[in-house]
Amino acid sequence: MEGTEFLRDVTVGQYLPGTSVTHRLDARAKLVALVLLIWAITSATAYAAGAVLVLTMLGLIVVSRLPVGYVLRGIRPILPVLAVFLVFQLLFAGNYDPSGSPILWTSSAPEPFPFRFTITEQSLRLSIVSIARLLCLLIVTSVLTFTTTTTGLTHGLESLLAPLRRVGVPAHELAMMLAIALRFVPTLAEELERIIKAQASRGADFGRPGRFAFIRRARMLIPIVVPLFISVFRRAEDLVLAMEARCYVAGAGRTRLSPLRMRPLDWAVLLVVAAYVLLMRLIPWPV
Amino acid sequence: MRRVRDAEAPGSTAGAALDAPLSGEPLIVVRDLWHTYLLGTPLESVALRGATFELAAGEVAAIIGHTGSGKSTLVQHLNGLYRPQRGTVRVLGRDLGDAATDLRAVRREVGLVVQFPEHQLFEPTVGDDIAFGPRKQGHDRPEVRRRVQTGMAMVGLGFEEFKDRYTFGLSGGEMRRVAIAGVLAMEPRVLVLDEPTAGLDPRGRTELLDTLLRLRAEHGIAIVFVSHDMEEVAELADRVWVIAGAMTALSGTVREVFRRADELRGLGLGVPQVTRLMYALRAAGLDVPTDVVTVDEAEVALARVLGDRAGRGDAGDGERRGLAYDAGSGSHIKPRGHFGPNDLAGSVG
Repeated sequence: MEGTEFLRDVTVGQYLPGTSVTHRLDARAKLVALVLLIWAITSATAYAAGAVLVLTMLGLIVVSRLPVGYVLRGIRPILPVLAVFLVFQLLFAGNYDPSGSPILWTSSAPEPFPFRFTITEQSLRLSIVSIARLLCLLIVTSVLTFTTTTTGLTHGLESLLAPLRRVGVPAHELAMMLAIALRFVPTLAEELERIIKAQASRGADFGRPGRFAFIRRARMLIPIVVPLFISVFRRAEDLVLAMEARCYVAGAGRTRLSPLRMRPLDWAVLLVVAAYVLLMRLIPWPV
Repeated sequence: MRRVRDAEAPGSTAGAALDAPLSGEPLIVVRDLWHTYLLGTPLESVALRGATFELAAGEVAAIIGHTGSGKSTLVQHLNGLYRPQRGTVRVLGRDLGDAATDLRAVRREVGLVVQFPEHQLFEPTVGDDIAFGPRKQGHDRPEVRRRVQTGMAMVGLGFEEFKDRYTFGLSGGEMRRVAIAGVLAMEPRVLVLDEPTAGLDPRGRTELLDTLLRLRAEHGIAIVFVSHDMEEVAELADRVWVIAGAMTALSGTVREVFRRADELRGLGLGVPQVTRLMYALRAAGLDVPTDVVTVDEAEVALARVLGDRAGRGDAGDGERRGLAYDAGSGSHIKPRGHFGPNDLAGSVG
């Protein structure tokens, strides 16, 4: 076992302090902008639209003054999944292409199987653009977490969900659960690191037992998972006690140290994002 | 506490049987060690910049330093949890900077007890948990059993009494001893402990310190421990390494280091209470030595000074014994109070 430092590779959900425009935006504005951008991203089907989206995302990283390499590093673990996804999409989607677009390639059916792989113009475009779309989704959500503190996120979410309280949505409770969950991600990562180090010191070997030795792999996890669970329960109990001791009642008349406030900049950014999304939808992309 | 150290014959039993490194070379040598956490990310933070450390055979070394000074990072290099990013770490003649060095072999010989080691327990019964390490090393059943017995004996847990006890039903001090037994069952030549007494009650603490002294005296195991407690350091250690600002600031024998009380204070550290007491007595005009680090030594020094006075008729017999007794009883079970010059004025003058 060489690498005992997890936090180095886990970049998702990390907050990087900064003073860029994106950092200073109201969390609610960022959340709404995120939803709008996700809409634009998921509805893009043309090559040109995909390219514009990718460029926009890179621009977003630059505007937020985030180190590009660090943001892209968070995407690296997902690349193998994307590759598998791309291959499957390419091989199979063409067979079920209803658009009647021209066939680019089709496999010669080997004797025993009456099955062909087909790639049509449409399925090729769909495969490539959907990879670009997934990358954009990853980037836009990580930019949000890189530039927003977890408290900001949960307060924003709570405030956005507040109108739904009337129809029985427990906005505060949901936000609190989210806040606690996010808060403990780094703590548990540290705990995990500690336990792995302790067990490695006792002779546990977390190297590679062979890619397909599933049972051996699973057994290796017992000395890690059991202490981790115990620690999670211990922390949960401590947290409950701490909340009780402070007379916590969900949402009962809580005030904020720094209340969220929408400033002109926030509205302006929302307008720009909305206009961008509309344009992306309305432009008749040539390819 | 008994000073078992004085009775110890260096280089006995365990050390001689194993393939010892060339005599003279220390067991562990750390030179100019640098370490940065989250290297290559925007969140990187330097934990060590040029730390030095050495451990001779059969020695007890203490690493002291302020919170966040890099002590834990340093000890995690000693058993190969980290490879040196810069500088050298040589453990039992092996260079950890060399990618060909098998870290598991190093971990077998250098047992690391992490902070709050009781949190690493996972088997339902004590015996199984201690057997984890030996089993991982691939020993057969009788050998695993023998090692579990040895490990438990070393920390003072009765084998028959404890082996089938439910791990998570033990007290905190017992759980910690089980965890340490789990490391000792691997029969390491060096035992590294990161704040071994943190969070223990006074009794658990005394028992653990006695255990460590016994390990060194009876089994010849060299010990490295990280501590915040200067009494503990004075009681246990031969050599002290002071880590401050991510590097080694001071090192030397206990007496050498604690003699530099002002420098230590400047680094946010202290000296043992008896040493403070001696400084205070000196400031109050009493001719006592200040390089006193343990209560036993203080007793001797004070008896001598007060004896001189008694000879001149200044202090009565009963008074003298009373002071020595107060200082002595305070050795382990005391609250962390302070002796100020004013407290002393009454009893001495």
